[in-house]
Amino acid sequence: MLEVSGLSAGYHGEDVVHEIDFSVASGEAVIIIGSNGAGKTTLFRAICGLGPVSTGTVTFEGKSITAMPVHKISRSGLAYVPAERHLFPQMSVGENLGLGAFPRAPDPATLKFVLDLFPRLAERQNQHAGTMSGGEQQMLAVGRALMSRPRLLMLDEPSTGLAPKLAQEAYAALEVLRRRGMTLLIAEQQVPLALKLADRGYVVENGRIHKTGTTEMLANDPDVRRAYLGVA
Amino acid sequence: MKAAVLDGLVLGLQFGLLGVGLTLVYGLGGVLNLAHGALAVVAATVVALLMDAGLPAGAGVAAGLAVAGALGLLIDSTLMRPVYRQTGEERVLLGLLLTLGVAFMIDGFLVWRFPLRGLSLNIGGEAISILGVRMRSGSLLASVVSILVGVLLVVFFRWSRMGRAIRSVIQDEEGAQLVGVNPVAARRLIFGLSAVLAGLVAITRSMTSPVQVTAGIDFTILALIVTVVGGLGSVLGAFLAGILLGIVNTISSFYIGTYITTIMLLLAAALTILFRPAGLLGRRR
Amino acid sequence: MTSTKSEPTVPAAGSRARRSLLAAYAPIGIAGALLALVPLSIGESRLLMGLAVGGLLFAAYAIAFNVIFGSTNQLFLCVGALAGIGGYTSGILADRAGVGMPLAMVVAAVVAAAVGGVISWIAVSRSLGVIFTGIITLAFSLAFHNLLLGQRDLTGGETGLVIQAGEGSLLRELVPPYYGLLALVVGYLIVYRLLQMSHIGWAFRALRDDETTAELAGVDVARYRIYAGIIGSAMLGLAGALYAHTEGYIGPSTYSFGEVDVRVLVMLAFGGIGTLLGPLLGAVVFTVLDEVLVEFGQLRVLIYGGLIVVLFLGFKQGVITAITRLFGRFGGQRPA
Repeated sequence: MLEVSGLSAGYHGEDVVHEIDFSVASGEAVIIIGSNGAGKTTLFRAICGLGPVSTGTVTFEGKSITAMPVHKISRSGLAYVPAERHLFPQMSVGENLGLGAFPRAPDPATLKFVLDLFPRLAERQNQHAGTMSGGEQQMLAVGRALMSRPRLLMLDEPSTGLAPKLAQEAYAALEVLRRRGMTLLIAEQQVPLALKLADRGYVVENGRIHKTGTTEMLANDPDVRRAYLGVA
Repeated sequence: MKAAVLDGLVLGLQFGLLGVGLTLVYGLGGVLNLAHGALAVVAATVVALLMDAGLPAGAGVAAGLAVAGALGLLIDSTLMRPVYRQTGEERVLLGLLLTLGVAFMIDGFLVWRFPLRGLSLNIGGEAISILGVRMRSGSLLASVVSILVGVLLVVFFRWSRMGRAIRSVIQDEEGAQLVGVNPVAARRLIFGLSAVLAGLVAITRSMTSPVQVTAGIDFTILALIVTVVGGLGSVLGAFLAGILLGIVNTISSFYIGTYITTIMLLLAAALTILFRPAGLLGRRR
Repeated sequence: MTSTKSEPTVPAAGSRARRSLLAAYAPIGIAGALLALVPLSIGESRLLMGLAVGGLLFAAYAIAFNVIFGSTNQLFLCVGALAGIGGYTSGILADRAGVGMPLAMVVAAVVAAAVGGVISWIAVSRSLGVIFTGIITLAFSLAFHNLLLGQRDLTGGETGLVIQAGEGSLLRELVPPYYGLLALVVGYLIVYRLLQMSHIGWAFRALRDDETTAELAGVDVARYRIYAGIIGSAMLGLAGALYAHTEGYIGPSTYSFGEVDVRVLVMLAFGGIGTLLGPLLGAVVFTVLDEVLVEFGQLRVLIYGGLIVVLFLGFKQGVITAITRLFGRFGGQRPA
């Protein structure tokens, strides 16, 4: 479904990621593991159009999206939830969710699904997004992305800044999505939860892919365990 | 005194409308459009010319607004492109300077081509009594139009999908892109809309006092003051500030004098910048 | 083995240092000499000499604006107002308070410098960005204009002020004012060059390039901005005052935004923001252009507007930088 080929991207003329190749097939859950500064965010931003691409191509469902403007990519079935969430602070939960479906009107069935998935959002439908806690904002960001009924959902560090309990709730929701067939691409620093959810993973270091394999393999890989699972 | 306050209110509504266009363009794109007043005068001039040629007022007004709007769209799609490609202070500076240039081009053209023109829309009819004060029908119509347009704007931005999409660009441009809103289209639409609003203010103004072809700069400065006091990017703020400043303007001109009044308004803007840069209702960026 | 890596260059005494000093100030000398020849061809014409004086005045304004905006990115849209403070202060002091003309001009410059310094200080302490600095200075410029109009008794209001101080002196003749202003312009250029080559100039360049890095490197951005504001405003005040005494008449429109600021902006942009001779070149070119366009009447405003757009769209670096780049490609490196 998503194919990234030879992708290099960076800022101010300097590349941060170098010649990345990977793919995500329909229905898969893939994680990108890497520490801070490894280039995960730069990579994701390049894929969804928020950041410039130096070289390489990105193909989504057979179509090239490498040079496409962000809003067009967002309308073609790829939804991205950035680490900073980028919610609309002075709009209510309901309005944020409603805009998620832009340019279409919000689909009531999808809305119901999102509110069932995140009951806390249902309780706060009229609250302004800017006044919510970190965990609630994260849920809202994911919910908003879901309103466009995407076929691929990309998330950048969904558990960052969340208390462990909330992080688990978030991943539980992602598990529900996965079981319903949603294709997921997740970048994570805090790896254990992501490894349990996903099928495959890539380890990114210094802007390049170091390792790849099934999550089982990665979970048992000694380097991965040392660097990301806090195991000596 | 009551008459002054009411007059101030009428003026204030128009101030508010004038500021709304400017504040929207800034909120969406970070551009302070110094050609705002020039666009207003373009509309008024077109109306005046068409009415001279025999066209009924309604058609003339529609044409004037259309021309102003089209000019706004043109400016955004051509000259503003390089401005939007910049970021931060570079964008602000370039936007200021380019729109200043455009303002001179439009003003210069109008004054050169139609040197003595002014627009004065005479609304006939008896003066009506509102709250014990006699108001000319021109003032009344101007106020009604301003209020109507104001309400329409509020409804549009709060409740329509397009309006919310535009607000989303102001609140978080990346977020807006991620939900599928095209910020370039939003900016273009708003630039055109702000030109139409500016034109509307010039036209309603002409219902109470003639609008000269040279009034462009005055309109721009007024819009600037209202925008700053109301808060850059806040529609409601612009209205509030407009009404406030309109009342202050009228009372001060009546009791003190024109030069001091202008200084007071400028001072209001300066003090806002110094002590409450977010304005009345703006956000701290 | 001793390292031959570059050490911080300390200008050595001797011919090498003298040569680079010469190179630094030679352009000023050449420009000054060339301009000094102008009255030889047009010294008879009252009209042309008046234009030439005006041209030099605007060169002085532009150099001052170059110090404020070109060096430290402070968008002072009150160039005319600051010059007006100089002009009116000097005129009023000399005529009404019996202050001698030279002293009056000095006081005028000081007053303008103080105002400019305060504006810089305000902008710096409230962290006003470009937009707010621009708006506040524009508001100041307009308020000053209205003040002049309103305070009839002091300033003569719309009809302006006739300035008697200077009557009968050299300043009111045909050619001496030209040389007076030329001396001023050359002096300002020298000041600019001195600033450029001093530690102040280094700080200016640092903060213009990247403010945050400059702060981290220990440059007190605030202080240098205020310095620039003070020095530039003093220049404006002095120029405005000198002009007042040579003209003998000033009015609100002499120093208004439309008459002064817009022109100075265009001149500086054309000549090259941040260059030494850019302001002078811009002033000369646009003074001539103004005269050429006089028959177009109001169309001039349109043309000016068009020029602003074109200049800032495509030609931002200005003529001097373009020329330097051209020579750089042919003649090797040129010191910044």
